[in-house]
Amino acid sequence: MSQTTSVRWFLVVLLAFIRRELTALGGYRAAFLIRLFGLALGVGGMVFLSRFVGAAANPHLAAYGGNYLGFMVLGLLAAEFQQVGVSGLSQRIRVAQMMGTLEAELATPAPPGMVLGAAPVYEFGTAALRSTAYLVGASLLLDLNLDHANWGTLVLAVPLVIAAFSGLGLLAAGTTMLVRRLNPVATVIGSVSFFLSGVMYPVTVLPEWLRAVGRALPLTHTLALLRGALLVGASPAALADSFLALAIFAAVLAPLGAVVFRFALRRTRIDGSLSHY
Amino acid sequence: MSAAPAVVVERLGKIFRPPAGLGAMLRGRFFGAPLHALADVSLTVATGEIACVMGPNGAGKSTLVRILGGLLLPSSGHARAAGIDVIAGDSAFRRRVAFVVGDERSFHYRVSGRGNLHYFAALHGLTGATARRRAAELLERVGLGAAADRRYREYSRGMRQRLALARGLLGDPQVLLLDEPTLGLDPRGARDMRAFLRDDVIRKSGRTAIVCSNDPSEARALADRVLFLDGGRLRGEAPPDRIEAELGL
Repeated sequence: MSQTTSVRWFLVVLLAFIRRELTALGGYRAAFLIRLFGLALGVGGMVFLSRFVGAAANPHLAAYGGNYLGFMVLGLLAAEFQQVGVSGLSQRIRVAQMMGTLEAELATPAPPGMVLGAAPVYEFGTAALRSTAYLVGASLLLDLNLDHANWGTLVLAVPLVIAAFSGLGLLAAGTTMLVRRLNPVATVIGSVSFFLSGVMYPVTVLPEWLRAVGRALPLTHTLALLRGALLVGASPAALADSFLALAIFAAVLAPLGAVVFRFALRRTRIDGSLSHY
Repeated sequence: MSAAPAVVVERLGKIFRPPAGLGAMLRGRFFGAPLHALADVSLTVATGEIACVMGPNGAGKSTLVRILGGLLLPSSGHARAAGIDVIAGDSAFRRRVAFVVGDERSFHYRVSGRGNLHYFAALHGLTGATARRRAAELLERVGLGAAADRRYREYSRGMRQRLALARGLLGDPQVLLLDEPTLGLDPRGARDMRAFLRDDVIRKSGRTAIVCSNDPSEARALADRVLFLDGGRLRGEAPPDRIEAELGL
């Protein structure tokens, strides 16, 4: 199969997947509204928390322009991106196993990567839309100031962030297929990152030895890039260390994740666990 | 009927190694006792033939068709379907060999029959108007034209089986593998489904089919030849009119 044919086929599968998800979503209107309500409450909480912390004029925030609202919004958005990257594929596999659709989908001519890959792409897409909406909304309605943002740095950072998180996602999906439980990797990475990567507070408040552990997490460098680019307008050169660290994560995690995922897929063909849950 | 075999199975074996319990794992044993699902199974099915594999629950029927459908890897032996080794299990193989997954849970409950079929058409590489036309044609063919836009969860058992069959035909396969295609249908529904399968889906298109069943009436209605599987081993074969005698019924 040529590269063009594969890409075209994948786009067809992606569109069909999105159409099916949106059709199904129509049947969950109440859940959708409750989620929107939850988001509104979350944003309200962020506003008051940022006023409270902003009033204290915390010196740890000086490196981020003293803007706690922006600091926190970007922290939560990046954490969500990580969550989507790490959990998107494994959640898709788990849900399809539990619903019983996985075996039927993998019995079609589409390669497994194509069958399963549509979900994380869709999840990344919706997370990007949500993030954009948050940023636009927070800068229009609240006092989030993005006037100094360096969008070029952001554009360079995003592919690296996606590659690193996707590698983690493949690793997590492989583990999910092997242990048939919802995502031990995501749980560990998610909670450790939230604690050590500086989602809600700058890592400078952590003791040095915890900061060193935090530097071994992709989210720490993702946050450094996003906040540097959007809050203080840092150039790629000024963020070279974080770019390099993320590039190393991507270069290691993506192939490692691919190997683990292929191994797990082969295991399911050996032990017949495709439809097990 | 041509003499060239569409399916060739040689000394096929399958051993499952279930994970051990926690206590055994703590003692350093990660797998429980091996389960021999298939042992030394050899058979051929000629092109255009309908072979029915019969046997009690746990005989290894589903394991056999899953291996032939490329979803499971054998532990020993070889098998080819539509001229391709089942171990390949790749796109070319899946275009020629369709495992009709009859599991009721294998469709999205909140999406219509047509919507479900469109999704699976995309997984067969069918795009836009071609996918819509193929889905509509198959929905009509399996008698779901009028119910195509109803949600899958509103479908009866028989309608779900028909939709599963339509999905299996999306790619126009040469070999069909069916696991208890009329399970749970009422007698009239089962009779109609068997006639449709035999005459319309298999004979008219010159396809080859392997049907797993433990229902003698299903085997009699569909099969040219019946193979008996028990305890993972092939115990013999017979023409459909000899089923009861072979089973001692």
